[in-house]
Amino acid sequence: MKLTQPQIQNLYAFTRQHYVEHYDLQTELVDHLANDIESVWQTQTNLSFEDARDQAFKKFGVFGFMDVLERRQKNMNKRYIKYLWAELKQWFTFPKLITTIAVFLIIYMSLSSVLAKSLLIGFYALICVFVIYKSVLLKRQFKQRKAMSNKKWMLEEIIFKQAGGSAIILLSQLPQFYNFSDNIFSNPYIVLGLSIFSTLFFLWMYISFEIIPNKAEKLLNETYPEFCL
Amino acid sequence: MHKKIMYVCNMANSKLYKGSLTTIILKLLNESEKMYGYEMTQKVKQITKGELNITEGALYPALHKLEAEGLLDVEVKKVDNRLRKYYKLTEKGNKETVSKLEELKDYIKTMETFMNPKLSLE
Repeated sequence: MKLTQPQIQNLYAFTRQHYVEHYDLQTELVDHLANDIESVWQTQTNLSFEDARDQAFKKFGVFGFMDVLERRQKNMNKRYIKYLWAELKQWFTFPKLITTIAVFLIIYMSLSSVLAKSLLIGFYALICVFVIYKSVLLKRQFKQRKAMSNKKWMLEEIIFKQAGGSAIILLSQLPQFYNFSDNIFSNPYIVLGLSIFSTLFFLWMYISFEIIPNKAEKLLNETYPEFCL
Repeated sequence: MHKKIMYVCNMANSKLYKGSLTTIILKLLNESEKMYGYEMTQKVKQITKGELNITEGALYPALHKLEAEGLLDVEVKKVDNRLRKYYKLTEKGNKETVSKLEELKDYIKTMETFMNPKLSLE
C-alpha cells in the first residue's frame, strides 16, 4: 500500500513538529518515514498510518531527529565556509588581485599617516554600518523569499541570516580601538599586520554580505538538486 | 569469512561499528550506481541477514558529512508522490572507497593475527 498525498503532507508537518524547519532535510526524512511505513504495512496491514509513522520515528532513537539536524547544520556550515573560501581565493588571483592590492595599499598608507588611529576607527565604523545595513536587508529578503516559496533551505538561512555572524562579535569590540596607544602605529610590523588583517576582514565582509547573497540562487541550485523542482 | 562478518555484526553498537559506517556506505555505493538512505539500511540488513542494523540517527549524519566532504553527489527524483534523494560516489569518493577498503582489510588482517597468533606463525 502506498502513502497518499495528504499523508505525505502530514509527514512534512510531523517533521516540522519535531523541529526540522528546513525543506531539504524534511524531504529526506519524509521519504525515509514513508518508505518505512509502506514496508511495515506489507506485514501489518491493519496498522493505522499514525501508529506506523510513530513506529518509524522511534527508530531514530530517543533524541528523534535532533542528532540528524545538528550534524546537518554543522556540515552545511562547513559547506558555506567552503564557498566563502573559494570566493576569497579569487581575490588573490588576477584580475581581482589588483583590487586586493589597492585596498591593502590604501589601508597601509592610511595607517602609516599621522591620522592612523582615526582612520582605523573610521574604516571599521564604515564596515560596521555596512554590516548592519546589509544584515537588515538580507533578513528582509530572506523573509520575502520564504513567504514566496513557503520553504526554508538550510544553506539559504546561513547565507541570508548568519552571514558574517562572528564578525559582528569582533565589530562589537570597536570601542576598544579608542584605547589603542598612538605609539603602536610607529611600529612598522604592527602597521603591516593590521593592514593585512583589515584587508582580509574587508574582503570577508564584502564576500559574505554582498557576493555570496548575490550568488544565492546558483549556490542553492548547486547544493540542492530539488531546489529547481 | 562468515565468522568475520558475524564478529563485526555482533558489535553493532560498538565503536568498532561506528568507525566502519563510512566504509560500509562507500562500499554499498561502490556496488550500485546510486542509493537512497532507506535503501541502504535495508540492503545492509539483507546482506548481513539482519545481523547488522544501521540506525537512522547515525546513517544520515554520516551521509551528510560525506556529501559535505565532496565524496558523494546527490540527485533528487520524484518517486510516487514524494521526492527521493539519491547518493552516488564522486570521483574523489571512488578513490576514497579504494583506500578505505584497503584500510579495513589491513585492520581485519591485523586483528586476526592478534586474535590467532599461533595461526599466523604456521
